[in-house]
Amino acid sequence: MFVQFFYTLRDRGVPVTPTSFLRLQRALSLGLVTSLDDFYTVARSLLVKSERYFDLYDQVFLHHFRGVELKDPETHELTDIAKALLAEWLKDPAGVAAAFGIDEKKLKKMSPEELIQYFLDRMKEQTEAHHGGNRWIGTRGTSPVGHSGTHPEGMRVGGVSRNKSAIKVAMDRRYRDYSQDGPLTQAQMGEALKRLRRMVPAGPKDLVNVDKTIRETLRNAGEIEIVFDRRLTDRLKVILMIDNGGWSMEPYVELVQTLFSYARSQFKDLRTYYFHNSVYDVVWQDAQRYYRPERLDDLSLRDPETRLIVLGDASMSPYELMYAGGAIDYTQRSTRPSIDRLKFLASRFRHAVWLNPSPLWEWDRVRTIGIVRQVFPMYELTLDGLEGAVRRLVAKN
Amino acid sequence: MKEQEKKPNSFRGASKYVLDEELAKIVNISIALEMPLLLKGEPGTGKTMLAYAIAESLDLPLIILNVKSSMKLVEALYQYDTLTRLNDSRFGDSKRNVSDIEAYIRMGKIGQSFVADAKTVLLIDEIDKADTDFQDDMLDVLDQMSFDIIEIDKTVKAINRPVVVITSNAKKDLSDPFLGRCNFHHIAFPEPEMMRKIVEVHFPKLSDEMATACLQTFYRLRDIGGIEKKPATRELINWIRALKSDPDFRPAVLQRGEVPYLGVLYKKSADLGLAAKAIARLKR
Repeated sequence: MFVQFFYTLRDRGVPVTPTSFLRLQRALSLGLVTSLDDFYTVARSLLVKSERYFDLYDQVFLHHFRGVELKDPETHELTDIAKALLAEWLKDPAGVAAAFGIDEKKLKKMSPEELIQYFLDRMKEQTEAHHGGNRWIGTRGTSPVGHSGTHPEGMRVGGVSRNKSAIKVAMDRRYRDYSQDGPLTQAQMGEALKRLRRMVPAGPKDLVNVDKTIRETLRNAGEIEIVFDRRLTDRLKVILMIDNGGWSMEPYVELVQTLFSYARSQFKDLRTYYFHNSVYDVVWQDAQRYYRPERLDDLSLRDPETRLIVLGDASMSPYELMYAGGAIDYTQRSTRPSIDRLKFLASRFRHAVWLNPSPLWEWDRVRTIGIVRQVFPMYELTLDGLEGAVRRLVAKN
Repeated sequence: MKEQEKKPNSFRGASKYVLDEELAKIVNISIALEMPLLLKGEPGTGKTMLAYAIAESLDLPLIILNVKSSMKLVEALYQYDTLTRLNDSRFGDSKRNVSDIEAYIRMGKIGQSFVADAKTVLLIDEIDKADTDFQDDMLDVLDQMSFDIIEIDKTVKAINRPVVVITSNAKKDLSDPFLGRCNFHHIAFPEPEMMRKIVEVHFPKLSDEMATACLQTFYRLRDIGGIEKKPATRELINWIRALKSDPDFRPAVLQRGEVPYLGVLYKKSADLGLAAKAIARLKR
């Protein structure tokens, strides 16, 4: 019964682990769950680890428990879960041992076959021990923490009692809104980009260097000589290049603005340049791409440790990328094709990434994205993508 | 008080904290299974307050570890005060024994909760600020309920297993091994009825008319789109406090669609501008 529930959750895409399932068994065997309502709450807090899956959980719960009579688990279901447990055991012995509440060392002495048998026995024991043999959830349970109404000394709850069965609660689908990924906000970007820092000593000397203090004190024949250092602060140099031209970037303007406003407040040494579709001989410091051009050759003389972040959808006509004089702006007719300029940039700045605001599934459909990806490691402009990009940027080589 | 003596391990809600039935169950199951409870939710849904409430209702001391992004795990466990030792060895005027390193070990917040004589509630606030290594290593420590002090080669074991509450603001999920060891709950933003109870706890003498008007306005303001930091419980409480302290204020003002003290509700200037515009539109 519950094993089936567990597998349904798994099949529907809720990442549930056998260890957490075991914990649920323990909670049941401790007599902490006295009704289906309790089960709904407890199972969710133990099995489901993100509010994104709460809605899915509600659906599976509904599907599973509406009008259902609870009955014993079949032995073959238990074997399945025991096998899954074995796999989990290999990954995380401590966690599984803790879930059973026994010593890890005792389990370690067993062969895989013995382990499976052991898991099976324990689970059968737990299903029978506390509930008269026919119910996993005892209906006459007297839990020390029973909920209001069923237990004379139950918990006093100050809030609004929903006064609804778990089924009804699940039917409400309260968590529907949480099932989608929220939009990127500045704060979230901040979290992702925070790792992108290079700490170097700067500012006043107000931090005691213990090792040096001891050495100097010894040299001073025991007379204390305290050595101060500068604190570590972030001095990472970042160049941000933004594609702000053309209609293809239009849908992403807000996203880019968020990133930009964050980057400006975060990095002390940040330079922003603009380009249209792809990079040719010059990029601009002004968003109109007119007043303050900077030659790529000058740009490349900067500290090679500078992190280069290019932000664009890399979607254009292949002609613009591959041919000399392919630039979409007539003022920019260069003698070298853009792809060479990109390669030049990538060779000068070894810490470089390309952030692409268009969704990953579109990338294969656009030829120029494929070409640019061979030059720059490309990441989606999402939280996961940003994190990947940051990992790449802080890597030593 | 009598009831608490009988059942020291069951959580019942505290004087200033309005407890959701569902959440109470989850707190109790976490205590029973001795698992850390991970709380997520919008800022202002009372994640941190819950730890205070648990400590108050179980009558246990509360120890708070405020996680910072630069924090190393060892700082949360213990600190070896080398400078004091150096100073003592030079001047020798302290009561400590300089050759005994242990006298210079100071417990960090996690360490304190382990060596405390009584059971404690350990709140680890905003875990998402630290990097993943910190999170995973910390869970190892909390799992084993022990850590080593390298300098004196000693293992500190928890005398009493603390009740661990961890909070996170991040939309992004924490690492899988971390989540696997925690009990999880997401605190949704309180619905109007629940919020009403919360307001009543803070302002017992608030008139019915005033409470209704304030809550209506508050939830209307939360529906304004494009706001980065929506007003939450804390802002609502402060706002009501501001309204109450204004002798000229009448609830009828809110019903006309005006919102005084908007700055109490919105902390970011961009949000404030957006909200002011939306309110002006609604009034017309």
